[in-house]
Amino acid sequence: MNFIVVGCGRVGAELCYHLFKRGHQIVVVDINKESFNRLHPDFRGRTLEGEGLAEGVLERAGIHEADGLAAVTNSDTLNAVVAHAARTIYNIPNVVARNYDPNLRSVIESFGLQTVGSTFWGAQRVEELLMSPSQRMVYSAGNGEVEVYEIQISDQWDGRTLGELLDPLKQCYPVALSRAGHSFLPESTMKLQTGDMLDVSSTFEGIGALTARLSQEAEA
Amino acid sequence: MFVLIAGGGRTGARLANLLINQNYKVHLVENRRELLGYLHQELPTEVIYEGNPIDPSVLEEAGIREAHALAAVTSNDSANLAICYLGKTIFDVPRTIARVNNPNNAWLFNENFHVDVSLNSADVFAHLIQEEMSLGDMMTIFKIRRGRYSVIEEKVPAGAKAIGIPLKDMDLAEHCVIAAIIRDGVMTLPRGDSTLQAEDEIIAVASSEGAQRLSDLLAFPVYPIRNGKKKE
Repeated sequence: MNFIVVGCGRVGAELCYHLFKRGHQIVVVDINKESFNRLHPDFRGRTLEGEGLAEGVLERAGIHEADGLAAVTNSDTLNAVVAHAARTIYNIPNVVARNYDPNLRSVIESFGLQTVGSTFWGAQRVEELLMSPSQRMVYSAGNGEVEVYEIQISDQWDGRTLGELLDPLKQCYPVALSRAGHSFLPESTMKLQTGDMLDVSSTFEGIGALTARLSQEAEA
Repeated sequence: MFVLIAGGGRTGARLANLLINQNYKVHLVENRRELLGYLHQELPTEVIYEGNPIDPSVLEEAGIREAHALAAVTSNDSANLAICYLGKTIFDVPRTIARVNNPNNAWLFNENFHVDVSLNSADVFAHLIQEEMSLGDMMTIFKIRRGRYSVIEEKVPAGAKAIGIPLKDMDLAEHCVIAAIIRDGVMTLPRGDSTLQAEDEIIAVASSEGAQRLSDLLAFPVYPIRNGKKKE
């Protein structure tokens, strides 16, 4: 497929290389030609020096043949404007804008664009690992608002039901339970055993509450 | 009328001053430290809102929901586009005006980003300079519709083509109306059969095309050549 990447910073260069390795045709646009030095030495694709906003630049990048466009500069407004133009003027169906400054995420969202906030997401992942090393995030939806975590059932909950564990929690739903190498779609009446691996779909608040609950002593 | 100005550079500060002097209510949003000191010297404190002008919460704090017009005049074109877009889609501002910094970006300043009016300073300025150079003795009194029309004053030189031709026969219709003739200090409002004499001064309303035609009609029969052999 043909992709246009606007912005050849660290995110842009990495993205270009990933797409290239999967066999896609890439045109990468940056206002500063020095930025292309960040591209991986094995990367083969077209580089185009120019400002993403300027008339004719997207056309020279082949927007009429593009299957998707990623706007990943370090300017939130530039990303939003380039992505919005690609979608509304050139009808590119698959457009993603990077959110650079978490304080400006609402700007990109107000354009109704798919956005990836690498700063916010990275900070949240680090926070999760710092706070609770025992849980493992296995899937992150959207910008990490909802994630699927894998947790281990502790001794305190051996013999008690799944419903007892999860029902009081508002932001946490069961996805799968794995025991002895098999997984099940768990029902709330199912009895837990020490060592079970439980996958839950949860917000950040939800997983915090669940972790706290797991380590609580069994209620009388 | 309440105008919210996003961006406090020279354009924003000047606009705020102009509007305040005409008793508009004005709020100006700016976050660059180096500009805020200057702004506080130039403008009343209650006008200045410190914050990033592309942050919706800052715009809201500055009263965008009550604003009748929004002027996005930062030095960043993508910011100006985003500000207009947010202004209309989130805050329902009735009228948005954006500054174009780089003429190459002008193509985006339209309804797609909810820009009602865009002003391309480099382009407007270049046209004004071009006009000043080409129209000789014609003096522009003021401009209408962003310089596309102007009210101009010009003296009729001896030997000009226009002398003696009734106004209705000058083939200016649609582009230019001669609104007044000043002769020996007396102003008259001409009719179609009025004619011009040398040394008259005229006041006309003209499009840029009309101004060019009028200028041809009122030109010296031969332009004097500078540094040249063929002096008058």
